[in-house]
Amino acid sequence: MNGEWTPNDSASRGPLLLLLAFGILWLVVSAGLGIIASFQLHEPEFLSEYAILTYGRVSALCETAFVYGWLANAGLALALWVLGRLSGEPLRAQNWAVAGTLLWNASVAAALVGVASGDATGFEFLGLPSYVQLVMFFSYGAIAVAGLLAWSGRIRRVSFASHWYAVAALFVFPWILSVVHVMLFAAPARGVLQAIVAGWFARSAWALWLAPLSLCAAYYVVPKATGRVLPAYGYAAPGFWCLILVGGLAGGRHLVGGPVPAWIPSVAAVSCVLLLFNAFVVALNLRCAFSSKAVELRFISVGIGAYVLSAVADSLTTFRAVAERTQFTHADEAQGQVALYGAASMILFGGIYHALPLITGKAWYSARLVVAHLVLAVSGIILLVGSLCLSAFVQSRGLLDPHVQFSEIFQHARPWLLMATLARAVLLLGSTVFLANFVLTACGISEAYRPASLGPPSTLEAPGP
Amino acid sequence: MKSDLGFFLGLFAALGVSYAGIVLASNAQLGSLAPFYDDNNDSTYPKMSLGVSVRGQLVYRDLGCAACHTQQVRRPSFGSDQARGWGDRQSVARDYIYQPYPQLGLHRIGPDLTNVGDRKPNALDADAFYRLLYAGSWGMPSYRFLFKARRIGLEAQPSDDALNLTGALEPEAGWEVVPTQRARDLVGYLVNLRTTYDYPEAFPVTAAKPEGAAPGAPAPKKVHRPAPPGAGGPAAADASGPMPAGAGAPTPAPTGAGGAR
Repeated sequence: MNGEWTPNDSASRGPLLLLLAFGILWLVVSAGLGIIASFQLHEPEFLSEYAILTYGRVSALCETAFVYGWLANAGLALALWVLGRLSGEPLRAQNWAVAGTLLWNASVAAALVGVASGDATGFEFLGLPSYVQLVMFFSYGAIAVAGLLAWSGRIRRVSFASHWYAVAALFVFPWILSVVHVMLFAAPARGVLQAIVAGWFARSAWALWLAPLSLCAAYYVVPKATGRVLPAYGYAAPGFWCLILVGGLAGGRHLVGGPVPAWIPSVAAVSCVLLLFNAFVVALNLRCAFSSKAVELRFISVGIGAYVLSAVADSLTTFRAVAERTQFTHADEAQGQVALYGAASMILFGGIYHALPLITGKAWYSARLVVAHLVLAVSGIILLVGSLCLSAFVQSRGLLDPHVQFSEIFQHARPWLLMATLARAVLLLGSTVFLANFVLTACGISEAYRPASLGPPSTLEAPGP
Repeated sequence: MKSDLGFFLGLFAALGVSYAGIVLASNAQLGSLAPFYDDNNDSTYPKMSLGVSVRGQLVYRDLGCAACHTQQVRRPSFGSDQARGWGDRQSVARDYIYQPYPQLGLHRIGPDLTNVGDRKPNALDADAFYRLLYAGSWGMPSYRFLFKARRIGLEAQPSDDALNLTGALEPEAGWEVVPTQRARDLVGYLVNLRTTYDYPEAFPVTAAKPEGAAPGAPAPKKVHRPAPPGAGGPAAADASGPMPAGAGAPTPAPTGAGGAR
């Protein structure tokens, strides 16, 4: 069980390939929607005659497709794969996983149709109309059953960091979704409490669901692919509990100076600083990824770097002096892209590049396309975050000066927003390359490529000591 | 992580911390926030939302207006909100208690809309909103799908609500542009966005000037401004005139929230 293919991998091929296929498809859809939304920022009249494509709706569609389409499907696929491998047995309850996957993706599609046709909720990270939330709750539960059975039925009773992150992610999402469904839709909270609850959900969805999903893959793939024991592994458990304990407390970080009690953004600031410990531990544990030449570890090392960067940026921007400049600007969008694309997606890309040859029993169709995807994704995300930061800088200067009109801010930020659209186009190209390579591999046409990590078998039994 | 049960319980407890810390604690503090009762004019604030405001807020929400516009004014020392004339005071939680879907917003690609129906001296009226929505402006798209073109002639009288369009936007002879019901709701909501009443908590303790202040005359710690007499109704608010500056004599206006209970 060291990087080599095992019979258990092909036994769970069906549900995993289904999850991955939906995930990558949604990635391309969301990249396309992202270009429309980005284009509308510098050409406001673009597609303005269509009610279904207002900027507010398209940006919600893009986010929903990305978070609930791409990140959720791909993260769940890798989590199930990791849990299945660590259990030492074929994945159980595969029918549940398949049924859950079909239902989940049907509800993502229904959510997109709902938002476009006027059921948008207006909450960040929660563009799901209330009627799909129950379906998503149950379909996520059905997928999670397979993972939880693999966890509870594992042959060896020890557990590893990948276990903790995967199981936490499986439990957390239904829990926070049900809370937010009750408090925002079934029995809506009063006034600004809605903003506080929505902020708590958005933060928890990142820190307790999406980040653990990708860290579970990173903690499994890095030791497998490098063949080395994780350094300073003893800190992994405190790092994990730090994330779970204080991750959701940063829910009020957008509300600095807002009409809420001042302790809410203050708690967020403290929690974001405490989370630096988790980012530090992750970087410490997985640092051997940086020195490796394997292509999947290139993706993962970029992801780990972005994860640390996003933790630093989060803690800086919750301080009032910084928030005064960055609040309400594109800096928030830039931070979101660092976390969701730079950290989570890059780690998931690396995980998929490592896992798919084992799941299918075939090497990737084209090694060149893998490298092309790496170059496009890394350059795209750097360009996107860079241009958003520059436009945020222009915006921030304009917003702070009461004599500067919004039309002036718009004109000054426009060149940078144009660059952001270019970056989105690069990312769309990268995603399309990824989709093409995935489809060709899944159809099994070529044996041309074999990840470097599949080369020398190592003696490592499992991640960690 | 010796036992699975221990791990699960730990996970649940850790999640409970953030849930109790953020969601339950803020609910306990704000969940039963009452309207403010003002003895001076025997009325409570904020006023209940009008029907058109509630419908318009749904339009505002489903079009995603909050992707570009916030509805929260921060305090004077924080950003340029008040210097831009967006409001005379910071927004407080009590402003939102009657709004079914408060739209605080996260981005300011366009201006804040907190008090957009009552800004002095240049508050927009309904006609200006219709024109803005129909024509768009720098950085803001037009929303033509909220309007429809109508033929006028012998069969159809010209509508009172027809947009007064000039220049390139002027419709052909025999045609006029009228707002749909959704546009009426949205504009009805926008012109009624007013935070005219000054709650005591909207003027938090201001720090005394460290130097230059005369020793015998300490700076007032809490500044209450007298509420405009008819701040509630839309028609009355327009007539209330400019408010006195914040440094005016502290009046024995509302003290504490006791009167609200």
